[in-house]
Amino acid sequence: MVSAPTSTGELRAAGPGKRLGWLLPWLFLTPALTIYGIVVVYPMVYSAYLSFFKWDGVSPTKQFVGLQNYLTLLLNDPVFWIALRNNAIWLVASLLLPTSIGLGLAVLLNQKFRSSHIFRSVFYFPAILSLAIVGLIWNWIYLPDIGLINQILGALGLTGLQHNWLSDPNFALYAVMLAATWNATGLPMLLYLAGLQTINPEVLEAAKVDGAGPMRRFFSITFPLLRETTLIVLAITAINSLKVYDIIYAMTYGGPANQTQVLSTWMYFMTYNYNSVGQGTAIAVILFLLTLIFAVPYVRIMGRS
Amino acid sequence: MSSASISTREHRERTLLVFFYVALTLTAVIWFAPIVMLVFTALKSAGDFAIHGALAIPESIAWANFSDAWETGVKDYFWNSVIIASIKVPLGVVIEAMAAFALTHIPFRWANKIFILILLGLIVPIQMALVPLTIVMNALNLIDTRTGLTLLYLGFGVPFGVLIMRGFFRTIPTELIEAAKIDGCSYGRIFLQIALPLALPAVLSLCILDGVATWNEFILAQIFLRSDELRTLPLGLVNFSTQFSTEYNQLAAAVLISLVPVIIVFLFFQRYFVSGMAGAVK
Repeated sequence: MVSAPTSTGELRAAGPGKRLGWLLPWLFLTPALTIYGIVVVYPMVYSAYLSFFKWDGVSPTKQFVGLQNYLTLLLNDPVFWIALRNNAIWLVASLLLPTSIGLGLAVLLNQKFRSSHIFRSVFYFPAILSLAIVGLIWNWIYLPDIGLINQILGALGLTGLQHNWLSDPNFALYAVMLAATWNATGLPMLLYLAGLQTINPEVLEAAKVDGAGPMRRFFSITFPLLRETTLIVLAITAINSLKVYDIIYAMTYGGPANQTQVLSTWMYFMTYNYNSVGQGTAIAVILFLLTLIFAVPYVRIMGRS
Repeated sequence: MSSASISTREHRERTLLVFFYVALTLTAVIWFAPIVMLVFTALKSAGDFAIHGALAIPESIAWANFSDAWETGVKDYFWNSVIIASIKVPLGVVIEAMAAFALTHIPFRWANKIFILILLGLIVPIQMALVPLTIVMNALNLIDTRTGLTLLYLGFGVPFGVLIMRGFFRTIPTELIEAAKIDGCSYGRIFLQIALPLALPAVLSLCILDGVATWNEFILAQIFLRSDELRTLPLGLVNFSTQFSTEYNQLAAAVLISLVPVIIVFLFFQRYFVSGMAGAVK
């Protein structure tokens, strides 16, 4: 049976069920949308709702307090600002370090030389580890007496530089960030490698013949051509950096003295340690809104049809 | 340009490259050092570690570390992770492929809006969902169950899976679908007999990326699993390390055990990792 050509936008599947054709996409979508709706969408909406209440998570009554939770956080909670500051530091560092290192590695590894695959595996390997495990490994590296770093410093005679890395409020956040960078560099490297594949090598050859050195070739040709990849790398990196949780939980648990708290860990503390659900969800909402700002470019790129 | 000046420039470029590659090798060695340290620590006996510290090559290989770690709990953690991953991943891929197919090849009005709704799921911090989820899971008696956790993983896995499958399905030319429709195929048949077989590489990539992500997941496991015997590997290892905090050799062995499946997948299916990631940006 041949169906007559249909006008655009009108769904006409040949075969049985023509009259219920409009139902079809929904049949395909239902399983995924159902579980997604229950596990993600509904809780999101309900969390936003809860942020306007005072509740301990257990008692059957909640008390409506309007914007009070938000005000308390912004005006009365010094740890909130520490967390926000740490998220900002983390964000900037993520946008600068793993991305540029990843780009550099990708450019170097894109040359076809024999062992490039081995290098690629080596540099990507930390990215496939669970962040909890990354945290554990680097915990051991930072141990004050037998950890790798202090041992190397000691062997080099630099005992003055040895520190209690994770217990020292001056160093703790940066120590964790180093561990996170070790893990986070793999993804930008891969994405840039994929992006570099789309660049026509003849363009670079022509530039080489014209006398452009490797630096010139990179900055004038390669990097501009990687614009879209860079946008995506930055957006994904920003989104992931705002969501940081596991590694801080595993390495410092927000300490010492709340100096390494970020919004996600502070939300956990507020909700599960202090039983202040309203404030906890308010933190989560704030975090979501912040992430949304960086997500817009990503969503816009991917949403193009 | 004389041939002499070309060759000096080439010479300069080549020395620059040599310099970069030496730096690259050095960086790679430093980069991999933590893993080497991990392996060495896992192979040492407790005494060896205490005396010589983290850097030294193990005196003798203490295989007992691995069996001890396995017996003291890693075997439960390992099997829990295996069970959850082997159910979640195939199930997830199927529902995500179905959804992605509808969004790309079944023309209907809401396709783009639904895709954006799904994409937002990638952005949402899990913290936004925790409290209501605890309420729902409590009501359904699913807290501290593997089933409950699997359902959570399924839900949170939808955005990424749909993203990857959609990226791939978009590369299937519409003429192919149209031709099948003209021949009388229902969308169901098109999905099963044309789209899905063509999408096998993407399906494999997604299985691998999703499998690894599920294997590594920590937050949800931490909040929704309570009993020690149900813990998944990341959770179990973190707890292990708080319990046996100074038995670094056993801890390192436990960590290595948990890495074995990931390493195997990584070594043998590397190109699926790469192509899968590339799919997230198309």
